Amino acid sequence: MSGGLDISMVIQQLVNGLALGSVYALIALGYTMVYGIIRLINFAHGDIFMLGAYYGYFAITMFNIPFALALPLTMILAAVTGMAVERLAYKPLRQAPRIASLITAIGVSLLLQNLGLKFFEARPRPYPRIMSMVVWDVGGVVVSNVQLIMLGLAIGLMVLISLIVYRTKIGKAMRAVSFDKDAARLMGIDADMVISVTFALGSALAAAGGMLVGFYYNRISPTMGTMYGLKAFVAAVVGGIGIVPGAMLGGLIMGVAEVFVIAFVSSTLKDAIAFAILIVILLFKPAGLLGRAVREKV
Amino acid sequence: MAEADTASAKRTKTNAKATDGRRLARAAVTLGGLAAGYFLVVALHRADILINDYYLQILIWVGINVIMGVSLNLINGFTGQFSLGHAGFMAIGAYVAASMTKLMGMPFALALLAGGIAAAAGGLVVGIPTLRLAGDYLAIATLGFGEIIRVIILNLDVVGGPRGLPGIPAHTTFLWVYVIAAATVVVVRNLIWSRQGRALVAIREDETAAETMGVDTTRNKIMAFVVGAFFAGVAGGLYAHKITFIDPSQFDFMKSIEALVIIVLGGLGSITGTVMAAFVVTFLPEILRAFADYRMIIYSLMLILMMLYRPRGLMGTAEFSFKQLGLGNGRPVPDGGGQVAATGDGPPPVLETHRVCMDFGGLRAVSDFNMTLCQGELVGLIGPNGAGKTTVFNMITGLAEATSGRIHFMGEDITRRKPSEINDMGIARTFQNIRLFSNLSVLDNVRIAFRGARPYSMTEALLRAGRYSAQEDQIYRKSMEFLRLFGLEDRASEIASKLPYGAQRRLEMARALATKPRLLLLDEPAAGMNPQETQELLELIRWIHERFDLTVLLIEHDMNLVMKLCQRIIVLDYGVTIADGSPAEIVKNRRVIEAYLGEEAV
Repeated sequence: MSGGLDISMVIQQLVNGLALGSVYALIALGYTMVYGIIRLINFAHGDIFMLGAYYGYFAITMFNIPFALALPLTMILAAVTGMAVERLAYKPLRQAPRIASLITAIGVSLLLQNLGLKFFEARPRPYPRIMSMVVWDVGGVVVSNVQLIMLGLAIGLMVLISLIVYRTKIGKAMRAVSFDKDAARLMGIDADMVISVTFALGSALAAAGGMLVGFYYNRISPTMGTMYGLKAFVAAVVGGIGIVPGAMLGGLIMGVAEVFVIAFVSSTLKDAIAFAILIVILLFKPAGLLGRAVREKV
Repeated sequence: MAEADTASAKRTKTNAKATDGRRLARAAVTLGGLAAGYFLVVALHRADILINDYYLQILIWVGINVIMGVSLNLINGFTGQFSLGHAGFMAIGAYVAASMTKLMGMPFALALLAGGIAAAAGGLVVGIPTLRLAGDYLAIATLGFGEIIRVIILNLDVVGGPRGLPGIPAHTTFLWVYVIAAATVVVVRNLIWSRQGRALVAIREDETAAETMGVDTTRNKIMAFVVGAFFAGVAGGLYAHKITFIDPSQFDFMKSIEALVIIVLGGLGSITGTVMAAFVVTFLPEILRAFADYRMIIYSLMLILMMLYRPRGLMGTAEFSFKQLGLGNGRPVPDGGGQVAATGDGPPPVLETHRVCMDFGGLRAVSDFNMTLCQGELVGLIGPNGAGKTTVFNMITGLAEATSGRIHFMGEDITRRKPSEINDMGIARTFQNIRLFSNLSVLDNVRIAFRGARPYSMTEALLRAGRYSAQEDQIYRKSMEFLRLFGLEDRASEIASKLPYGAQRRLEMARALATKPRLLLLDEPAAGMNPQETQELLELIRWIHERFDLTVLLIEHDMNLVMKLCQRIIVLDYGVTIADGSPAEIVKNRRVIEAYLGEEAV
């Protein structure tokens, strides 16, 4: 970088980073909620995100459904997919060693991805334009309507999910099951139902993220879930896995860091930055930024 | 006495001879079997029965996967450290080896070795910071390192960056892979069945208990990680010289997952299972080629179904072993009870604490705790729940670091020592909530605690040479002796968690004593026992105390036991010592009565 950083350039990248980060945050929420409740790294979550992008794509292109309707529809479809995956692949393994569910999750991820490659075709597709791009120039910082919608939607959904988790009865049940499944059951909570709801909510958010990515980057592919999923998971861990605000914070950090590395360092290093942040944070805060390390009682 | 000694020595010698014979037979069977396996494959291939050129190629991939799987199983399955970055080490090995042959024209063997060593060095660099993390956090950190290694290679122009490294000489033959895969299996197996290996398994079972049994957990975890990384590096070298073109994308996260699938499918902690799974995972996609487009869909479905139906893998933690072939485990059942070496002739005092404090946040759990234990004393530490008794134990054994104050053991300051060092110096403990290595046998629980004055080295363990055999026999004999002393001999091969409660308590004591302590700390040994069991325990502790010439510090709520057993009693309340004296003095002490005993005890 010669001649020092241009302040408007930095703000510009911050805006871009927040846009990307809000998508990571949406996906990270699903990872963190599922991990919080059944201690499973749901590797298939990235592929639910991918499915969400395609559900939205087909809803808009094949059925001409307007975006405002396609989004909730896609989220519902993804929620159903997520619940089905949980019932069929994870529920039977609830008593098995955790690693068995982990491998199953990897299996489901591979399955969804390969189904995608087969039925959605391997080629990346351009996403349908749902509105004409309007760009504002605010003192050298370029902001588009797409970015604003993306940020607004993401923030709205995050507020909604926080309200559900912290203000509703089902949210309380989720937290109870997360704390102690058996005790929650004894208190009359239907743990299986709560777990299903958790998968549904997480999957719906991921699907929204999928549509937003398609909308923003204008390109989707059946293998897109892997990298987005991995980075979103890293975001969840950085924020403190199992903690809802942690996932949002982690997601935003990931997005901003990635965009900054691309802009100011090198685009080939963009995939390394997420992991570098992860390792540094874990070394100093082993339970993530908002997590609290629990010491084992002897 | 002298006669008995010679007789016993003679018996040991005869036993040793018989054992040597069996050991040689086992080695011969292993080597012979391995050689026969190789020649069988080659012969079948020559004759074109069952194995055609294509299958021979796949067998090479199987061999590489065996190396990857077995080395990862050492880390994940045996040591219990969840690593998801194995592909990174494979990449290091592949790139180093390929650069050496292709760019520098070095011989293949040297290149493989260098690849392994480079990967091991990588393992060291990754392991030292990350192995402090546990469970899923370790998994994700190793995954991160794996990806970082890949991105670094992606940015290295010398080896082609994203374009990759083409034209690597195709040195990898079936013979190379077979020999190295077999060597990996033998080395890892030998490691597991050695004192080093037992330390690894102990870490998997219960890290805290392992630490207090003298296992340096950090060192051992890093050792497992480095050995695992070495073999992954060698596998990478073989891989590069088989595929002849490598680029960073081949070593992505999915490659690590592939190795993980192999070990989970085979059974974490089962070497034979891993080998079987390597066959399944390598052949399955090949067989499914017939399904063309649907190949990967079916593959992933089968992976899910296999996990649903065999969540513990093909083999669980079981192994095919020589026992099943009728060759026995090569160790004689011990005869005659030799005197267990008694230790400890140091001058009193044994343990001294000077104004030791422990704060948890704002709470002072232990305050200015002063205590002196003299050689041979049997002291009780009592007090209401939350008085700080276990915290005192934790500080003495190094599990918790005192906020201030000093602790001296045999005149040496141990305040900031690691638990394993403190155990080495001669302090052993049991736990309030029994912490056995629950999935291991009773015998192994005690064996882990044993170590000699000059323990055999890792090289000796891997080659089963030098002091290995003699010491292993000795450890076995001594462990069995201990089990007999505690009435557990008949249960030696049972799984520790299957023992009845009282027997688990006894086993925990036997394990603590096997570390040859001078000072034994017992944390509520009578908890959950009925009066009959408590009475037996009382006699057992008395007997241990004399027999092993120990100093004993005991936390206990059963006042009856404490009064009968202890020569001196220290009473804690809210972290403060409120009384210290003989049982007779304690029962009369007003403060103790108020704080703890209650009025009716007077």
